[in-house]
Amino acid sequence: MTARRKPFAAAVTGLGLVTAAGVGTKATWHSITHDTVPGGVSYQDELADLPCDFMYMATDLDTTELLGVATRRLMDRFSQLAVIAAREAVGDAGLDPESWDRSRVAVVIGSAHGGLPFYDQQFTAMTGRGARRVSPKLAPLTVINSAASSVCMDLGAQGPSLGVATACSSGTVAVGTAHQLLRAGVCDIAIAGGAESVLSRLLIASACQMKAVSTRRDDPATACRPFDVDRDGFVVGEGAGLLVMERPEDARARRAPIRARIAGYGASSDAYAAVAPDPEGKGIEQALRTAMADADVQGGDVGHVNAHGTSTVVNDHVEAMMLQRVLGDHPLVTSTKAMTGHTLGAAGGIETALTVLALEEQLVPHTANLTVPDPRIPIEVVRAEPRRAAFDCAVKTSLGFGGHNAALVLTRS
Amino acid sequence: MNAAEVVNTLLEERFGVTPGEVTEGTALRSLRLDSLALEELRVLIEEQLDVDLEEVSLTSRDTVGQLVAAIDGKVTA
Repeated sequence: MTARRKPFAAAVTGLGLVTAAGVGTKATWHSITHDTVPGGVSYQDELADLPCDFMYMATDLDTTELLGVATRRLMDRFSQLAVIAAREAVGDAGLDPESWDRSRVAVVIGSAHGGLPFYDQQFTAMTGRGARRVSPKLAPLTVINSAASSVCMDLGAQGPSLGVATACSSGTVAVGTAHQLLRAGVCDIAIAGGAESVLSRLLIASACQMKAVSTRRDDPATACRPFDVDRDGFVVGEGAGLLVMERPEDARARRAPIRARIAGYGASSDAYAAVAPDPEGKGIEQALRTAMADADVQGGDVGHVNAHGTSTVVNDHVEAMMLQRVLGDHPLVTSTKAMTGHTLGAAGGIETALTVLALEEQLVPHTANLTVPDPRIPIEVVRAEPRRAAFDCAVKTSLGFGGHNAALVLTRS
Repeated sequence: MNAAEVVNTLLEERFGVTPGEVTEGTALRSLRLDSLALEELRVLIEEQLDVDLEEVSLTSRDTVGQLVAAIDGKVTA
């Protein structure tokens, strides 16, 4: 029995992106729709000698210059990226933090690992130099909600705010949660998405032990190759992607351009395994069907999917089978992770923003590094170059460790 | 570096205090140092000067000069 509610489509009025593909929404979108080889992936000293010693980094970024020493010192890097993306999104939406009703502005930001790098550094300080050399900032900088609270402080947002932690679906769940907050009327403006930055030797060493990440060390730029027959795992990336969302009538009242709409949200839990998705993709199917029912759309309406597409053998196969089953074989599917890396808890925020841009531009980005499509994958994945198409409805899917699935339905404004 | 130089450098480089903003009589709170910042500053000074400031009570009402004097007391002690 599915409880049906009156459909609610939140207006997206602003976007902010910081990714390895570019700093800023324009730079990121330009790279994703023009470049065939990712420029943001590089070897990292921190990861030296690990089976995976490379990562996607947003290198074109001077956080001290942008934030100032006094503000920056209270954030680990994932929060810094969130604040920079939030400033862009709010500016893009034409909102003025000096004059908005600050008690009605919500901030919802997903992250899988929060300030893990700072945690690592402080653990190293304690083991090497003793407890008296540990920073007093461990808790405030490392908690998952630190990105949300940092954005609140930076913009003076005083409505309900929270961090969302559902591993690699965190960003998508954050946008879905913001959709529900707006629908429930508990805020008028929501800043939502994800942020992640985990250049952490400990975490990547463990991911290598799990055999989850690519070990294509001879050519890191081609390591992440979603839906390709030779894919061998994901490549971690850092980044932040945030949306400004409002009720459509509020956006219209202040004459703000509506870039696209978040029309439906669904989430589910596999209740199956710590890491592996349900082998038939039943959990992500349930999330997607819930989101489509919420938006009142059918499979035939969906023209584009920004897939989770991590470049692991299992994810891409399970997800593709599910997409074909639920939507058919007509939607133009892409994974933008070959350009951004897998940004874990930020992925859903970044990729939802890219889905908004795809709807706006009527352009589906190509899946970089997809040279030989896996013949077991029964969907149309755009490759080699972006594809122009006419579509009014798109889908974003995300799966997280622990079996946390989420899907959004987006519509053209 | 003496204690005053270490404190001034840390305030500028780690807490974003503008050079010239600091005089001996400046209260730490007017440099936007709250209780968390003071505890962070304590760790940084201990590390750089190899002193133990555990017994020094620090509040944001204290001035930069009082902080420097407290460190000097520990260094010479």
